[in-house]
Amino acid sequence: MKTRSFFKKHISLLFVLGACFSCIKDTDFNQSTSITLNPIMEVNLVEVQETADSFLDASEAEVLMISDLIVLDIFSSNFINDNLIKTELVFEVTNSLNKAFQIKMDFYDPSNVLQYSFFIDIDNSLTNTPLVTNHTEVFEAMSLAALKSSTQLDISIILMSSPTGSVLTADSIGNINLTSKGIFYFELKE
Amino acid sequence: MRWLIFFGVFISLHAQNKQLLYGFTEVPQQILLNPGAQVDYRGYIGVPLLSHIHFNAGITGFSAFDVFADDGKDFNQKIRDVVYKLDSKDFFGFNQQLDVFSVGLSVKKSYEKTFFISFGMYQESDIFSYYPKDYAILAYEGNYNNLNKRFDLGQLNVSAEVLSVFHVGVNKKINSKWTLGLRGKVYSSIAQASSTDNTGSFITIPGTNNNLNHIFDLDMKLQTSGVSFLEDPSANKGLDILKKRLLFGGNLGVGIDVGFTHQPSPEWTVDASLQDVGFINYSKDVKNYILDGYLQYDGVQSVFPQVTSGQTAQDYWDEVEDDFEELFKIDSTSTSYTKWRPIKLNSSVSYNFGRKVDKECNCLSKSDTTFQNRVGAHLFAMKRPNHLQWALSAFYYRKIVKGLQLKTSYTVDAYSFKNVGLGASAALGSVQFYVMADNLLSYQNLAKSQSVSLQLGFNYIFKNNEN
Repeated sequence: MKTRSFFKKHISLLFVLGACFSCIKDTDFNQSTSITLNPIMEVNLVEVQETADSFLDASEAEVLMISDLIVLDIFSSNFINDNLIKTELVFEVTNSLNKAFQIKMDFYDPSNVLQYSFFIDIDNSLTNTPLVTNHTEVFEAMSLAALKSSTQLDISIILMSSPTGSVLTADSIGNINLTSKGIFYFELKE
Repeated sequence: MRWLIFFGVFISLHAQNKQLLYGFTEVPQQILLNPGAQVDYRGYIGVPLLSHIHFNAGITGFSAFDVFADDGKDFNQKIRDVVYKLDSKDFFGFNQQLDVFSVGLSVKKSYEKTFFISFGMYQESDIFSYYPKDYAILAYEGNYNNLNKRFDLGQLNVSAEVLSVFHVGVNKKINSKWTLGLRGKVYSSIAQASSTDNTGSFITIPGTNNNLNHIFDLDMKLQTSGVSFLEDPSANKGLDILKKRLLFGGNLGVGIDVGFTHQPSPEWTVDASLQDVGFINYSKDVKNYILDGYLQYDGVQSVFPQVTSGQTAQDYWDEVEDDFEELFKIDSTSTSYTKWRPIKLNSSVSYNFGRKVDKECNCLSKSDTTFQNRVGAHLFAMKRPNHLQWALSAFYYRKIVKGLQLKTSYTVDAYSFKNVGLGASAALGSVQFYVMADNLLSYQNLAKSQSVSLQLGFNYIFKNNEN
């Protein structure tokens, strides 16, 4: 009987000691206060493909500009508002028309107040070879806040006169293509 | 996400493997692992709610120490290292079992024709999830710099269930060599949710007309049953529902356990069992969510309405918005479904030695004349949605004195090669207590642990007369 209680004591002692000596060492669990994710999403945006016809009115005379309006409610969503920290809008314009252009992007809020605006100058292509113009518009801090408060984008292609440029007619050769993508930098914090 | 990392403290690679309990003859709950186990007592009554408490949880692939080490390294960098180190075969598992009651007794049919009947009820919770690596990479990096990378949305594979199980088992020693057993089970699922049959992908490729082409291919499904009470703010009502479902008011299923013990000679023992060969049919309080769609998006075309009457960029934009809404529209159904229980295999081979022999013949002696030692090997395997989880153990069992037995085990599996466990059963009169824990080496620093598993319980044993 004595032997039995001796062993029992020792076995229970073993478990108690095991529990006592088990520990969590050399760690700092307070580190978990800030888990940050920084995904970057790349999304296709607007595409434009226009020939000379697009810039002529019914009497085949050049118009001053053409424009289109897009309602963008995505920028004012809560998720974007809370987590978007930087945006780059990347444009590639290929022009083979012998006409210079200015592409203008105007961002408006719901009350139609202009929040942000920028433009891309496009040279005329004298020999109708494709001329590539790249432009990246970066939105950070103030400009990002302006983008987040915008709900409409007005895209205008303004016809510009240039020393070597010609007047567009229905027979003008070439076209103007625009491709664009948005690169959205997020910071997701727990 | 933080709770997930905290679980890293209790990492386990062999959830539901009870290598210490399996074959531990003195502990009555071993017959829940093998209905054909050897029984050498007349009966037992488990102390209600205390006869078997089992807890096991963990994540493969890393330990809490990997991220919480006080080493001055940037915390987010350490998390990032873990996110990239793990792969989609790594998993997180949690399992808990609690015996509500358990009883066993021998039924004498005629002289020497004895059955051992055992029955009881236990509650079980099980959560299992594979690591959805592609989702983590997408959350970490986005699709930028991941052109042409196919994000596999099928990696989302998660299930969770709380259920109660009522069981009745019959154990019969056929002859000196064979013991067979069968246990019937009725499952009552209290709540279940699983999303295990997902396929689909998200990829961004260079487009033909524009810079990029985004392709969404979604075929995802979440099945739930019994979770609607969560939406009910009244806590009492929820509790009532839980009580009802605990007692067969939930979604019901049936299953069996089968097992045997074979002793070709007194020294050698071979045994095996299959647990939970069964299913549950979910038909009450079912809600399934289905996300099914395909979309290629390559931007919005601007048309400039001044020159061509008709569609404007806004129309395109609206169309795109509609397409996305349609893509991510979640359909819900209440179609019933059936799920197989995770089937488990246990098998062991062992060798008994060291019979205790009294130096002087004494017919009145009550000393134990059985083998005092046993060594053996134990195999555990369990069916998981995408793989077979396995573990192989070597064990040594020793009767220290009458009423006190120890078992130690060394377990290896695909991930861990240093799992040492220790279990003890002690009887004080008819009251028997057992406690078992594995991964003892890691107790020096739990944060480095790959597993902590614990089982304990109290029983009242009716010993055989000769004992």
